[in-house]
Amino acid sequence: MKKVKVGFISFAHMHAASYLFGMLKRDDVEVIGIADEDAERVRPYSVDRGIPYYADYNELLAQELDAVVICSENARHAEITKRAAAAGKHVLCEKPLGLSEAEMLEMIQVCKDNGVQLMTAFPCRYISSVRQAKETIDAGQIGDILAMKGTNRGTMPGGWFIEREKSGGGAVLDHTVHVMDLMHWFTGSQAEEVYAHAETLFNDTEIDDAGMVHVKFANGVVAVLDPSWSRNRSFPTWGDVTLEIIGTKGVLNIDSFAQKNDVYSDVTGKASWSFWGDDMDEGLVNSFVESIRDGKPVEITGEDGYRSARVAIAAYESASTKRTVQLKPQG
Amino acid sequence: MNIAILGCGTMGTAYAHNLAKMPGVTVTGVVDINAERAERAAALTGAKAYTDVELMFEQKDLETVAVCLPTYLHKPFVLKLAEKGLHVICEKPAALTLEDAQEMKAACEKHGVRLFIGHVVRFFPNYHDAYRQARSGNIGTPKMAHFKRYGSYPQGMDGWYNDPGKSGGVIMDLMIHDIDFACWLFGEVESVYASTVKRAEPQMEYAQLTLHFKNSAIASLTGYWGYPGPFTTQFEISGDQGIVRFDSNQVQSLDLKLVGAEAGEGAAVQVPSSPSLHDPYYNEVQHFIECIRNGSEPLVSIEDACYAVEIAQAAEQSAQTGQPVMIGGTVS
Repeated sequence: MKKVKVGFISFAHMHAASYLFGMLKRDDVEVIGIADEDAERVRPYSVDRGIPYYADYNELLAQELDAVVICSENARHAEITKRAAAAGKHVLCEKPLGLSEAEMLEMIQVCKDNGVQLMTAFPCRYISSVRQAKETIDAGQIGDILAMKGTNRGTMPGGWFIEREKSGGGAVLDHTVHVMDLMHWFTGSQAEEVYAHAETLFNDTEIDDAGMVHVKFANGVVAVLDPSWSRNRSFPTWGDVTLEIIGTKGVLNIDSFAQKNDVYSDVTGKASWSFWGDDMDEGLVNSFVESIRDGKPVEITGEDGYRSARVAIAAYESASTKRTVQLKPQG
Repeated sequence: MNIAILGCGTMGTAYAHNLAKMPGVTVTGVVDINAERAERAAALTGAKAYTDVELMFEQKDLETVAVCLPTYLHKPFVLKLAEKGLHVICEKPAALTLEDAQEMKAACEKHGVRLFIGHVVRFFPNYHDAYRQARSGNIGTPKMAHFKRYGSYPQGMDGWYNDPGKSGGVIMDLMIHDIDFACWLFGEVESVYASTVKRAEPQMEYAQLTLHFKNSAIASLTGYWGYPGPFTTQFEISGDQGIVRFDSNQVQSLDLKLVGAEAGEGAAVQVPSSPSLHDPYYNEVQHFIECIRNGSEPLVSIEDACYAVEIAQAAEQSAQTGQPVMIGGTVS
């Protein structure tokens, strides 16, 4: 069996660890190396597991590799993706794909020019309730979609996430893109107009940790999304992914993390939810590997990543102008 | 306290049930243009049934009137009642426009009668508790909130709910409950943005609102007439040190299942409920009557009710124009 040879570039975003474990479960994947400027950060994943470590990702790109997984700070996605593409490697890039419309379009173009695939890491597409919702909608069970309300609330992650030059934005950028991708996927339409608020309400930070994003789609669907880092320490889990879809024939509610046990622990001193549902990160990794292995188009493209991230970028513009922002039709 | 009920539809009947058992209160008259409905309310209360409000005014000892008419009739009747020197307990929303609501307020002040608007959500024990939790410091400072209020399409007389000129639609009639609560919690609104969906077959009206407050707090509200599920309310208030939330589908303190029911009758034999000693309307009316008796200020003032109408109107305007509406006159 020919194995898919994969390298990891940066563990700045800790989703990398979960993607790595997904890869390591597969017989048809060989993890060639892990590149990160911080050797200590990746020691438990690299040398401790016998996976070669690279301080410079260019050296990793010089190896015989089919694909790379990029989990750097958001601000470096574009630079690393373009280098990887130039080196002829397929790319799985952590969300948000990029920080400006121009840089994302360039990432997409460079991958195209080099004949490599670019997949945006939106693991929420692999939540089992989300997949079933997609089937339910496509089968016409709720008729035509009229309106949606979503939440992707979380906990303030700290670190580089709240340093604007590395993250590009706070909660509104970090947490708009996942559910916005699902909204695009479910409607098959494009966001056309954005109205949003971005505020710092919960934490003593410079960057936004709260917001509300309204979107109008080309097909007339209206939607609103709460991307706030509003879960406090005592909340029983880190966050949520919910989406309510109102159709002409029915209403569909997704509560992704409802598959949980309630835990009341004197040891942790709080009530918590222990999630026992399927692992969405594994679903994402499997899809990427199978696309690369079989030479099929990736299920979530660079364009998908662009379409969702541009809504978040427009949300900041709207929040500062206090007006609706029109998204330019894609060329 | 001698009280009459004007309008014997759903709300008037609810008032009749509650007032009939309230100590110290006598329902002396019930009025509806439909004689059958008036008689039904009369049977509940022992009051005299009228189909003509003018005849009811002949009652000498009448002190207070509960106005349970369709919204567009609130103003003309409240003005008339004020002129007759009668205190008024009026269903929400106060009126279809801020101007009308203010005119009602002015008329009641001029004639020295009290005016109360039935924003009953403030009297719901779950909402009241959430308000107290949020204000107690238990969740730090409240910063964001979500409110949801979904129900079947309301079936008023002659379909008056379906006429925006009579009911004001889902924002003015239904979501005003949560608008009032959000403003109670967060204070003055800076801007409102809204999107609405309205369809005829089957009849539905849905709206999603964002209220941005002067203290930077954000509230997201959704309301839905024509929801295919059970009547549902949900809220979440998140502060910088905690969260309080409620889901009406998760508070069934009593659940009855019967053996031997035929298949297909599921809804009829599964009866979850959340029983209380009194319904919130009872507590609300009792509070208003208490305010009349001792001259005290109510939990929800006429100014609060006017403000809720102003915000609901702004939301409607935003839905029409597609742009946010700044509160305080200027349109952004």
